[in-house]
Amino acid sequence: MDTMQIANSLPMWIACAFPVCLVIVQAVLFWRDAWKAGEHTGLTKTQMKRAAKSSAITSIGPSIVVLSGMLSLLVTVGAPIGWMRLSMIGSVMFESVAAGLGTSAIGVTLGTDTMTDEALAMALWTMILCSIGWVIFATIMANRMDKLEKKVTRGSSAMLGVIASSAIIGVFASLMANYLSKPFINMIQKVSAAVTINSWKSVLSSVLGAAIMFALTKIAKKKGWHWLSEWSLTITILAAMIITALV
Amino acid sequence: MNDSYYETEYMPKANRIGKITGFLGVVLSFCPAIVLAVVYGILPRPAALLTAFISGASAFGVLWFVEPISYFPVVGTTGTYMSFLSGNISNMRIPCASMAQAAADVEPGTQKGSIIATIGIAVSVVINVSVLTIGALLGASVLEMLPDGVRSALNYLLPALYGALLVQFGMKANRQAIVMILIAFALYMCIGLGLFNFIPGASNWLGTLSCVFISIAIGVATAKNAAKNAEAQSKETK
Repeated sequence: MDTMQIANSLPMWIACAFPVCLVIVQAVLFWRDAWKAGEHTGLTKTQMKRAAKSSAITSIGPSIVVLSGMLSLLVTVGAPIGWMRLSMIGSVMFESVAAGLGTSAIGVTLGTDTMTDEALAMALWTMILCSIGWVIFATIMANRMDKLEKKVTRGSSAMLGVIASSAIIGVFASLMANYLSKPFINMIQKVSAAVTINSWKSVLSSVLGAAIMFALTKIAKKKGWHWLSEWSLTITILAAMIITALV
Repeated sequence: MNDSYYETEYMPKANRIGKITGFLGVVLSFCPAIVLAVVYGILPRPAALLTAFISGASAFGVLWFVEPISYFPVVGTTGTYMSFLSGNISNMRIPCASMAQAAADVEPGTQKGSIIATIGIAVSVVINVSVLTIGALLGASVLEMLPDGVRSALNYLLPALYGALLVQFGMKANRQAIVMILIAFALYMCIGLGLFNFIPGASNWLGTLSCVFISIAIGVATAKNAAKNAEAQSKETK
């Protein structure tokens, strides 16, 4: 059998369905318990429904980005493996790098050379072995970090709130600055013009995202439009993305 | 309302679910590799696999430890169990958790905030897996029919998302957000120009880790200062 036929065979689909199902089962279990705990701690059903709706709206855009990243994996390692790898652990960037490292260890360049049986196995095993570190460490540490955080704040709930909201600002500042700094670094290092232009476009999209969000939030607050604050993120992202693509 | 339910019922159970599903996930992720070996008799050569693993571990190994630590203050205990099993953390789990908290009008870092984040992450997992399942079943040939314009526009979605989210959550603490974006920019310039090349893999993890903890330090210092000033003022009025 041809390598890609094996990669797309029924046994591979079944094998990949197990881990994907586990991810769903875990989400449903936590969802059910969180809902119950929410009722006990005084959250209203409206609040929880609003949270679920807002998360659903927010996740559509990034899901499509992941989907388009899955394209290259579908072609190189087959649909079942690509599907499983992006449904659990890792990220688009990690999976393609790990798969490439695996195949290049036996001299096959991912995406250009024809996939051999052994290269497929190398890509798959490398992606798995290099990703489980995250889950192992996160699973061991999740409750221990909670204890540590409580010890550091001496149980002060005000401090816990300050830490969490500061961390959110830190994360998004970091993610945005990563794009903002790229064109300057590219210019200093004299990277090709095409790459530099692309990195400028990312900066434009990011700045537009910030500016449009700022305007919409102000308007929604002034007019008291609840629907606008619900949809402002989606509107912002679409507008920033389309404007940037058209420029 | 019964506050102890969270501590005595919900959290112990969440920890049990988290540990079981997390370790089961590690085992189950080997399923396709085992099928490839047992059904088709295809196994990688151990020596080659070791080489690949070592280069992978040196590229990502630090992230296994640094990412759970960096993101914990944002997603909390149950969020950590879920985010790291499902992946796509910075581009999906954290935005969804934060937006869910904003929509329910709860503060991050509280019990309510953590419950809402868990619901938000669970919803995002279900949607993410559904979209990917449809995509995988349709197959690459169908997906490639997407017009080129759409696919290149998608490259600009994440930068817009991060800019918008920084504003959304920075507006409540605008001075902190402005200071943080300047610090983060300077830091990424230094990282990009190779000033930290003596630390292995620094370009992958140093930025986020530093930004999270610098921002926490600024936030805590500001809050302590404000508390001190309030105390001084109340003494004066007495």
